[in-house]
Amino acid sequence: MTQVTTLAPPPASSGAPHGAPSRIRVRGIVKEYGVTRALRGVDLDVAAGEIHGLVGHNGAGKSTLMRILTGIEQPTSGTVEFDGDGAATAATSARPGDVRMAYQELSLAPDLTVAENASLSDARRLRPLRWRAQAERRIAEVLDTVFPGHGIELSRYVGELSMAERQVVEISRALCSDEPRLLILDEPTESLGVDAMRQMYAHLHVLAARGVSILLISHRMNEVLEHSDRISVLKDGATVLTADAGDVTEDDLLVAMGGDVRGDSPRVHDVPVVGDAVAGSGERPAAGETVATASLAGASLPFEAKAGEIVGLAGLAGQGQDELLDRLWFNGLSRRITVPRRRAYVPGDRQTSGVFALWTVADNLAVAAARQLARAGFVSLKARRTLADRWVGTLSIKGGASAPITSLSGGNQQKVLIARAFATDAPLVLLNDPFRGVDVATKDELYTLMKAEAAQGRCIVWYSTENKEVAHCDRVYVFRAGRIVSELVGDEISEERVIAESFDEHQDARDARDATTKDAGAAA
Amino acid sequence: MNALNATKTKTASRFTWPAWGWSLIGVLGVWLCIIAVGGGNPGGPVLQALSLAPYLVLVSIGQMLVISLGPGNIDVSVGAIVSMASYVSVAVGALAGPLAGLAAAVLAGVAAALLSVIAIMLLRVPPIIATLATSLVVASATLLLADANRAGADAALRGFVNARVFGIPVTAILVAVLTVLIALALKRTMYGLSVAAIGQSTLAARKAGLRVTSTIVTTYLLSGAFAGLAGGLLAAYISPSTVLGDSYLLDSIAVVVLGGTLIAGGRPVVAGLWTGAVFFVLLSSLLNLVGWNLGAQNVLKGLLVVVVIVISSRVTKTGRSTLSRFLSSLRREPAATPTPADTPALTKENTHA
Repeated sequence: MTQVTTLAPPPASSGAPHGAPSRIRVRGIVKEYGVTRALRGVDLDVAAGEIHGLVGHNGAGKSTLMRILTGIEQPTSGTVEFDGDGAATAATSARPGDVRMAYQELSLAPDLTVAENASLSDARRLRPLRWRAQAERRIAEVLDTVFPGHGIELSRYVGELSMAERQVVEISRALCSDEPRLLILDEPTESLGVDAMRQMYAHLHVLAARGVSILLISHRMNEVLEHSDRISVLKDGATVLTADAGDVTEDDLLVAMGGDVRGDSPRVHDVPVVGDAVAGSGERPAAGETVATASLAGASLPFEAKAGEIVGLAGLAGQGQDELLDRLWFNGLSRRITVPRRRAYVPGDRQTSGVFALWTVADNLAVAAARQLARAGFVSLKARRTLADRWVGTLSIKGGASAPITSLSGGNQQKVLIARAFATDAPLVLLNDPFRGVDVATKDELYTLMKAEAAQGRCIVWYSTENKEVAHCDRVYVFRAGRIVSELVGDEISEERVIAESFDEHQDARDARDATTKDAGAAA
Repeated sequence: MNALNATKTKTASRFTWPAWGWSLIGVLGVWLCIIAVGGGNPGGPVLQALSLAPYLVLVSIGQMLVISLGPGNIDVSVGAIVSMASYVSVAVGALAGPLAGLAAAVLAGVAAALLSVIAIMLLRVPPIIATLATSLVVASATLLLADANRAGADAALRGFVNARVFGIPVTAILVAVLTVLIALALKRTMYGLSVAAIGQSTLAARKAGLRVTSTIVTTYLLSGAFAGLAGGLLAAYISPSTVLGDSYLLDSIAVVVLGGTLIAGGRPVVAGLWTGAVFFVLLSSLLNLVGWNLGAQNVLKGLLVVVVIVISSRVTKTGRSTLSRFLSSLRREPAATPTPADTPALTKENTHA
């Protein structure tokens, strides 16, 4: 991300963390759910006009803390003071509109339009007649200020928007109200394009300069380090470190988070055993054999994936990577696509197209492999259970095979979905940006698993919005405007290269525009 | 993820019961009332209920499978199919014997369901509209059949549906065996897994590689087949009539819901079909006993369904319910305090439920 961050404006001298009175003062917050302590004594101070970074692994208690700050839940003990007025929680002391939050899981109703969604949580009144126009004007104002050139139609249903557009709307929704005193952003950049990300951070600095306190939660250490004034680290439900952003490095933070997160996980040695268990029944092709091909419309390079390799689909979000994965998955009757009969898919949007919420971990894990376990249409419960147990063990999925899937944290749910795909004997595994909001240690384990699986002859096609992840690929196709514009192999693969290839389009567009204006000028 | 351990210890330490527990309590309650009001042999009302309940269970099996496919899925054509199948069974039975008659009744049900399937899958009509349209078509066919046909059911079939082993109706035993098979199929076959998965999330089922389209088609066809079978048997147990199946539409939905099947889909509860159906039949005899008319009975049934849906949506989660969860849902209104600022339209994150 080094290239990206240099594009962003230098942090404005926003707020004075030292000496300034605390906007929000959290002391000794404990939150218990039954016998479990989700938070065991959190202290946190956010000054007026400060951008405060908050980092921690999945399950460290960030989400719980945010629910308490926004007043959705009450702490078991401890106090939250808002601007020094000594009240017990933000819920009672803050006036409507004081605390705003953009949620990681996106709090948008898919069957409402952009404007309707924004007006739902807007504290300001709407006039009784022609309110829709007023609501549209309000959200348009925010969108145009924060994300100029966003290109989002306000009358579209949110369900029709791409993930990146939804994230833009979610952030704008949080800003669409009276100016808040505290703004909380939970993983705001996970699916944001580079442009939008830059615009968002620029606006955050403007807001901070106006005195708004901002709490920034992110797994992307470099962004937190670059844009925060101070950073707090949450570990196992307590704050373990608070420091000025200038005084800490990425490594410091990772160490404080408790991760031995560097390097390959030792689990790499366990993995092949799992693979073999299912591989026997499969139609696994020999390494190097072509597994899937596709030819895309227009002046696109052809797509090809071979057994034993990890093929990355990179580029800006929403440039056609989704469409290619969908075509490889559903196949249809197109003659321009060849895929093996057995395929597996790991969805990125685990809430809507991933987990089966009523089922246990084991049921969720074994559902895709059930067909190959079936004998004469019957799937043995024992075979499913054995398979699930083995994967739960290998990926150390917390909670065990018989836990309800919804009791797992997001990272662990994602592990289940990955295991679901790799538990099948499919020679082709498609991944649709599955590591959104997954913590570093988990990602590391899953990368290792993917490499081990590929080494056994599995072909993995992986769409990622995180450019850093291309480092784990054997080959990378960069997408732009629905086409494959470049293929990177081996040493050519780097974040910088991917970013450069993704952005040429802007150059193209400018060239095209220049050409048309010139033509128009000539015609005139 | 720590919350998980809490949930585990909680469920382990407290009494939990299956989703059909509520309707079983209903059965026992109504049964005691009947004995208290009517006196006589305590086994009598149950045996009597067992002769009528199998038909309701048959229709409800199909309805349960359809409802388990998820929001929007419902089969409102079952009533009309029951009526039509009763005539088909008698007409074909008179020509080619009672077994052929039953087979024809089942096929007629499948054919009717095929109409719904075409409308739902190809024309993308919402299931409630599609099956409603089918039931209009079927009702017209029933009228034609009724005009052409004045025969009664075959004597052999009549003997079969009235046969009893140790006082228990043979039909009840056979339908019980069938429900066990259905329960097994739901737990252990790809079809069963797919139904539950589709009911939870069609999108996720597609991405998990399940055969969504063929599962939906099969389910509606099965629903038609079971309604057809019920109609074919009822023709012998009662007699063919154009209004024979009318009550089966609402009753089948009510039985499915009372039995603990999630109305939102994804969790069929087969055992609940029996407790639900027996409860309904017993309730009718109790109300007849104390002199309620049919209209008042229907009002009560409707209220019961609404109450059960309200309670079950609060109490049950992932198939198990606890009394304490129910009581706590009554004590505390869910988060009446609005959030200070930010009321998201949906809060999907629910890690610590």
